[in-house]
Amino acid sequence: MSQEMLALLLEALGETLYMVAVSAGIATVLGVPLGVILVSTSRGHILQNLWLNRILGYIANATRSTPFIILMVAIIPLTRVLAGTSIGTNAAIVPLSIAAIPFVGRVVESALREVDYGLIEAAQAMGASPMQIIRRVLLPEAMPSIVLGLTLAVISLIGYSAMAGAIGGGGLGDLAIRFGYQRFRVDVMISTVVILIALVQLVQSAGDLLSRRLNKK
Amino acid sequence: MIELKNLHKTYHGENGSLDALRGVSIHVQEGEIFGVIGKSGAGKSTLIRCINMLERPGSGSVIVDGEELTTMPERQLREMRKRIGMIFQHFNLLSSRTVYDNIAFPLELAGQSAAEIAAAVNPLLDLVGLADKRNQYPAQLSGGQKQRVGIARALANRPKVLLCDEATSALDPQTTHSILELLRDINQKLGLTIVIITHEMQVIKEICDRVAVMENGLVIEEGSVIDLFVRPQTPTTKEFIRTIVSHDLPDVFAGLPFTDTPQPGSNLMLRLSFIGSSANEPVIAGLIRRFNVDVNILFGNIDHLKNTPFGTLLVEVSGDDAAIQSALQYLQEIELGIEVIGYVARNARATA
Repeated sequence: MSQEMLALLLEALGETLYMVAVSAGIATVLGVPLGVILVSTSRGHILQNLWLNRILGYIANATRSTPFIILMVAIIPLTRVLAGTSIGTNAAIVPLSIAAIPFVGRVVESALREVDYGLIEAAQAMGASPMQIIRRVLLPEAMPSIVLGLTLAVISLIGYSAMAGAIGGGGLGDLAIRFGYQRFRVDVMISTVVILIALVQLVQSAGDLLSRRLNKK
Repeated sequence: MIELKNLHKTYHGENGSLDALRGVSIHVQEGEIFGVIGKSGAGKSTLIRCINMLERPGSGSVIVDGEELTTMPERQLREMRKRIGMIFQHFNLLSSRTVYDNIAFPLELAGQSAAEIAAAVNPLLDLVGLADKRNQYPAQLSGGQKQRVGIARALANRPKVLLCDEATSALDPQTTHSILELLRDINQKLGLTIVIITHEMQVIKEICDRVAVMENGLVIEEGSVIDLFVRPQTPTTKEFIRTIVSHDLPDVFAGLPFTDTPQPGSNLMLRLSFIGSSANEPVIAGLIRRFNVDVNILFGNIDHLKNTPFGTLLVEVSGDDAAIQSALQYLQEIELGIEVIGYVARNARATA
């Protein structure tokens, strides 16, 4: 493989990491509160609000059931407004984030549900407010599971980001399609796949390690 | 210190509704250890959770330290709860925090500084005997140690009341004993009012001053622990007492044909209960001397209720029919728990 190809691969890897990192960041910032709201407003929980719960649940489900490639195309007008363009890595971040927010929301929801309700009651008995319970009981206690969930989200985002290449999003997927597929460069195809596999492995291992470190059970 | 008035609570589920509390009134004095015993489903857990409003009663009034809790706004209620400590059957410790940080937790919630927290937590670690475990996580502790952390955590805000919800039910008998000793110690040292919910008579026997027996959402019997042991009124209470004080007749007597009324030429079987000072009086000897009857001790047992000695004797009184009746009358007049088991014909007894 030529020096140029190597440079292209590195650049594409950089783009992928950039897209995944930014969209994962956005998805975490918005998805974690979503998960918290989904749990705390559910029946019998600390901030029960069934209407809000149901509406957010529907939105999350609708977003998650739309195939990513269709979501990506469908929200192009929104992408233009937010990113100023519908092509390139910055543009890809919009649909990636939108797909990942409900994903993270659901993952965080299930992690928070694992927290024994007895702990919430104990905190209530000590005079904790709902916000204190969320910040000091629910989130810290669920952190090992949340980290595993976020790891899963990042891995999904790596996959989605490769798909974003199909509509000119940049990154490894873009490279694989333009060179590997359209120009029959098998070496490029294989290289991108290997890099993606290594990336996923790395993320999973890091997530597992961090989760284990946090888990004091 | 705690006054519960006519509490009602109904749970509405998919399979109809359940009346957990059907008009419960209890008054707990300052500084006492008050026990509530009942089988599962009696409503005792709902009752204790009404004291700090973890469970809101459907109607009735909850007054703790002079303040009515049922009508208190949420924010004020949270402040109030800091004056009511609580420990749980399954400890409910935060697994992500060390022993120290678990005990510090309520103080953090109250917004105290690290220095204030350290000043409060360190003595508590010593009090519950876990100073060497301060940096361990709950998963590394035994059940008894976890409950000690729970107790220290409950005491961190210097509450006036400690609620114990089946606090020893997940512990083995030896650990239960040591936790109860700690609670008694705290009660005496800090003058803390303690309410204990349990299904184990052993717990009541070891540390409670007064006790309420619950069944089907009602208090069916209430009084000092000694009274309850000596003069149990209801079958449920008798059943609970039987779990720790054997009331069964020895095998050889169980099958005898007892009658409730005196028959000519029959012996009287009695169960006598002695408490505190009455245990020191020579009742049996007096009986023999005064009434010229024979007293045969069939079974005896001495136990302690908190610190008061408590004994039971199963005796058989024989002699002249009239003398037996005078002896019985005498026994009923002096302050003694007495239960007539029945009369049994002397000849039936002889063949036993």
